[in-house]
Amino acid sequence: MTRVMIVDDHPMWRESVARDLGSRGYDVVGTAADAPSAVRIAAAVRPDVVVMDLQLGTTSGVDATRDIVAAAPDTRVLVLSASAEQDDVLDAVKNGASGYLVKSASLDELDDAVGRTADGDAVFSAGLAGLLLGEYRRLHDAPDDDAPTLTERETEVLRLVSRGLSARQIATRLTLSHRTVENHVQNTLRKLQLHNRVELTRYAIEHGITDDPE
Amino acid sequence: MDSPHEGNAAPDFLLPLWRAVVAFRLIAWVVAVAVFVRGWDRFPDHRIAIVLLVLMAAWTAVVTVAYSTDAGRRSRMAGYDLVVTVAFVAANLLTQSAAALSDGAPILTSLWATGPIFALAVERGRDGGMIGAVAIGAALIALRQRIGDQEIFNTTLFLVAGVTLGYAATTTRRATSVLREALAAEGATAERERLSRSIHDGVLQVLAIVRRRGTEIGGDAAELSALAAEQEVALRSLMTSRPTSSGGQVDLAATLRLRATSRIEVVTPAGELMLARRTVEDIVAAVGEALNNVVEHAGSDARAWITAEDLGDRLLVSVRDDGVGIAPGRLVVAQESGHLGVAQSIRGRIADLGGTVALQTSSGQGTEWELTVPKARP
Repeated sequence: MTRVMIVDDHPMWRESVARDLGSRGYDVVGTAADAPSAVRIAAAVRPDVVVMDLQLGTTSGVDATRDIVAAAPDTRVLVLSASAEQDDVLDAVKNGASGYLVKSASLDELDDAVGRTADGDAVFSAGLAGLLLGEYRRLHDAPDDDAPTLTERETEVLRLVSRGLSARQIATRLTLSHRTVENHVQNTLRKLQLHNRVELTRYAIEHGITDDPE
Repeated sequence: MDSPHEGNAAPDFLLPLWRAVVAFRLIAWVVAVAVFVRGWDRFPDHRIAIVLLVLMAAWTAVVTVAYSTDAGRRSRMAGYDLVVTVAFVAANLLTQSAAALSDGAPILTSLWATGPIFALAVERGRDGGMIGAVAIGAALIALRQRIGDQEIFNTTLFLVAGVTLGYAATTTRRATSVLREALAAEGATAERERLSRSIHDGVLQVLAIVRRRGTEIGGDAAELSALAAEQEVALRSLMTSRPTSSGGQVDLAATLRLRATSRIEVVTPAGELMLARRTVEDIVAAVGEALNNVVEHAGSDARAWITAEDLGDRLLVSVRDDGVGIAPGRLVVAQESGHLGVAQSIRGRIADLGGTVALQTSSGQGTEWELTVPKARP
């Protein structure tokens, strides 16, 4: 049984999502309303999937995502946000979230997204694919030799995701296996997350932050 | 904690004028000393003249301090300055006889006495300058007991200087207050934007909840759910669209995002896609034509995706729907029968921009327009 934790500052939303996911056979093992308690609870209960909102009152879901992925590497974070802030979404996936869904998604879509996140797949909306294509373009134009780049195939796949095609439709169109398409999508995300970690480490060394305060 | 508007404090543009008033007074006192030394033989009692010079120095010090502080400038110092200075002008009677004065004997307060005219002009604008000029002019005339060319010339000069400086001070004061208001308004707008972001986020939350619960409950609630969904998309696209333009350039990404509905998703990079206004207009018109095509032919349940991608020197814009698709040959038929709608609007416009159009469609598989447009106009 997949163990799920829900992080949202809105009590009604937490209950609604917990009930919905419970009815679909998920085991809701914890909820949290702000970033610090989300990190603490996730580290203690080690859920398979954290369903994460980005605006947590005065605290940030992006920070919570980064800290949870660091504290519990087997836990996967699925961002479920009402936020219209594109930079927040991009920051969340760069900091380790493995998928993004808007809150207006239907229960079927949410069910499917949590299931795929638990299986280790990346859950991409068309909008997120567009943001990633933009981010790779930005990195390509930036004067940084270490910046990750997309292969031609990855660009092709990401572009089709951004146009609203499902992994299965993409597999048919490019005559690839469904698994291969999923791998390409995941790679685009992993490269960006890896680059982000390297950047953070480099920043820490340059600024003399050598050790974690904890 | 700093107050939110502290960083926005407008500089007081009157300060340089006040500094000039103070500097003028100090220089004028030195001139008074010079008048005394040069006219040494024409002052019958040197001790009284020296006492007067010392008192003038003391008053100069008082107004220097007053005009150099905020509190002093806000008090009615310039008015007191005028009264005291007129008294100093009268005190010349102690250094010279009335007869010598009307004969044009040197007086210690000549230039120094004009100080309050400028102080009043800066403090009270045109009227202040005028009152100061008239008062000092009249005091000098009364002292000399005559109205000659020199007196008329001096008084006129005082008036011109006082009124001109007064106008300048008033204009400066208005500019300062306009700037201060503008800075306050800017601060208030930023604060309102911050507030509206968090309020909008709350509204989005509630709309999302209504949408979910409504769908679950079904029946009439499903209708509410659909309405909530529409409003949610509208609000989200409002929040993410900042149609910005600068120097004839327009943000294509923000402009396209305005087309989002609950059936049409707009996918763009996070930042801006700034292009020439005409290019953006042509692309948006072509996209609109492709969307009309979706509405007319793809079926009422079809969804559509608009994407815009930056390829460096080119843009890749696509419009895809998941509808029934266009049967092979239909476009050609439309073109030949004179119904140029789709063909001309899209191919024509994009060709004018030096770009190309690719169309992928087949019956039952939706339609995908792919527009490749160079960023620079041909």
